[in-house]
Amino acid sequence: MESFQISLTDWQKALQELSESYKIYAAVNNGNSIDYEVVNNDNLKDIIYNTPKPATPLKSFFLPAKENVVINKKFHKKNIIIGIPSCDLAGVGLLDEIYLDKDFVDPYYKNARDNSILIGTDCLTTQQHCHCTSYGVNPYPEKNNDLSLISLNGAILIFLNTAKGADIVVRIKEIATVREISSENIKAVQDKREAVKKQLKSRNSKLPDYKETGKLVKKSKESVWEKYAKTCVSCGACATICPTCTCFLLIDRPEFEKVRQLDACQYPGFEKTAGGEDPLKKKFVRFRNRYMCKYVWKPEKFESIACTGCGRCIESCIGSINKNELFIELANKK
Amino acid sequence: MADKAILYRPIKAKVDKVISESPTIKTIVLIPESEFAFKTGEFIELTLNGYGEAPFTPSSSPLETRRLEVTIMKTGYVTNKLHELKPGEVVGIRGPFGRGYPVEKFYGKEIIIVGGGCGFAPIRSLLYNLIAIKEKFKKVILCYGAKTPEECIYKPFVDELKKTERFEVYRSVDRADEEWSEKEGVVTILLEDLKVDIKNSVAVVCGPPVMMKFGTLKLLEMGYPESDIYLSMEKNMSCGMGKCGHCMMGKYFVCKDGPVFTYEEIKNEPGIWL
Repeated sequence: MESFQISLTDWQKALQELSESYKIYAAVNNGNSIDYEVVNNDNLKDIIYNTPKPATPLKSFFLPAKENVVINKKFHKKNIIIGIPSCDLAGVGLLDEIYLDKDFVDPYYKNARDNSILIGTDCLTTQQHCHCTSYGVNPYPEKNNDLSLISLNGAILIFLNTAKGADIVVRIKEIATVREISSENIKAVQDKREAVKKQLKSRNSKLPDYKETGKLVKKSKESVWEKYAKTCVSCGACATICPTCTCFLLIDRPEFEKVRQLDACQYPGFEKTAGGEDPLKKKFVRFRNRYMCKYVWKPEKFESIACTGCGRCIESCIGSINKNELFIELANKK
Repeated sequence: MADKAILYRPIKAKVDKVISESPTIKTIVLIPESEFAFKTGEFIELTLNGYGEAPFTPSSSPLETRRLEVTIMKTGYVTNKLHELKPGEVVGIRGPFGRGYPVEKFYGKEIIIVGGGCGFAPIRSLLYNLIAIKEKFKKVILCYGAKTPEECIYKPFVDELKKTERFEVYRSVDRADEEWSEKEGVVTILLEDLKVDIKNSVAVVCGPPVMMKFGTLKLLEMGYPESDIYLSMEKNMSCGMGKCGHCMMGKYFVCKDGPVFTYEEIKNEPGIWL
């Protein structure tokens, strides 16, 4: 589809203009972390480009930590979300398959999805635990984004990918001086993409791919899970921060209202029935369950991948558990 | 059927009657605010306003849409409170959810039903359905087990069923008393004396996990193919729509893909008897 470039100054002007009719979130550098913030005149300059990855996964826009699912909500403005890395965009695939499942379209999820325009970004740098390429995801937006952008030599390169993103392009063109992307810039983007891919692939060369991980997990012995789960404290951070973990707890409120709250199979009692049976009673079984879900069960049932290699579960683990070390160990024992 | 888009909001239902079935089991008769249709084996979520929600397969006939019966064993946070319900009180119901019994697949066959304890609830609903179209089946054999004679539920229903043409009823209790004239022992002993044409038969099992396990193993030993054994799985179903994840059994969401599965479908999934 369409692509063009504009100056950074024009882009910022366009954002100011657009912020009157949209609520704009963008990845902003807070010093020691990157996260989505609502864009205003003061933080326009802090928006960070080409960089992974906001601390909060994209799913939080569609599946808030807590949400009343009985009362009707109104959206006053559409959201524009800027700076989404490709790992999080890849994660939307599974969310859509579950929450937009034709048998039960979740109206709250659908509303939030319909009301958000997703602007992806290239990752021209990487973080320690990034491993998207191991699971077939490239470090630049390919799926599930309405627009994507890359900041290069003082210019913002914009790629339009869906009809949903077209309105934004029209608005940008009213404000900015639009130029065709130069062949040097196209070449520069391609070179940078290849370089990042190469870097990720070489850093994760020992890590088995998505399919192979599934096979290894399926036939693994209990002892390896017991070993790695030793420092797990069942805090659920890995699931909460995961772009594809979508489980929730349904809480009853007066007036027959219901609130759903993000939940995690890592918490004791997650699958316990009233009769007392609990398939996930043991901690190491819960720990293994999450990886069985990601690499074995979800692939049996859904098209989209259930781990996009963002590495957040490794970064967030207070027990310092690195699932990739576990998978490399499984691969080496083969 | 209710609008699927708003299935988080329960419809209201008034408690019409509470029937005490055993010291730990009660049947709540509900009158939903609007007609409520379900297929036998599908389940509902029963909500206590502001308190909690739990999944149950209705025990009443799927042919009745103005009245719904739910048979509840007192066993946890929500069921303890459900046992305190009085006529006139209002609860919420969501559903129906899931995949029930494929009754059409049973046409022309002998049906062996193995039930235990409160697992009689979904089975009674199935039996009501089968009775209504009984000429479509060769015969229906119910094998039901409970811990004690006192814990055998649905006594009037069982008496009626015994008199119904094409239906046979066998019961056992783990511990008999002086008045008990039927079998003593676990429910699987009832299967030992059965004369069935296995090739033209299907089996349905519903009960506590341990009974489901040994019931299934016995049926396999008798020669039933894995694809002809239908199990109604009890998991922690919550949303009912294959989203919240609490009822996952391997790749399946029991709430949406089940709760009725053939043994063949689930035999390799983890925790099926847990």
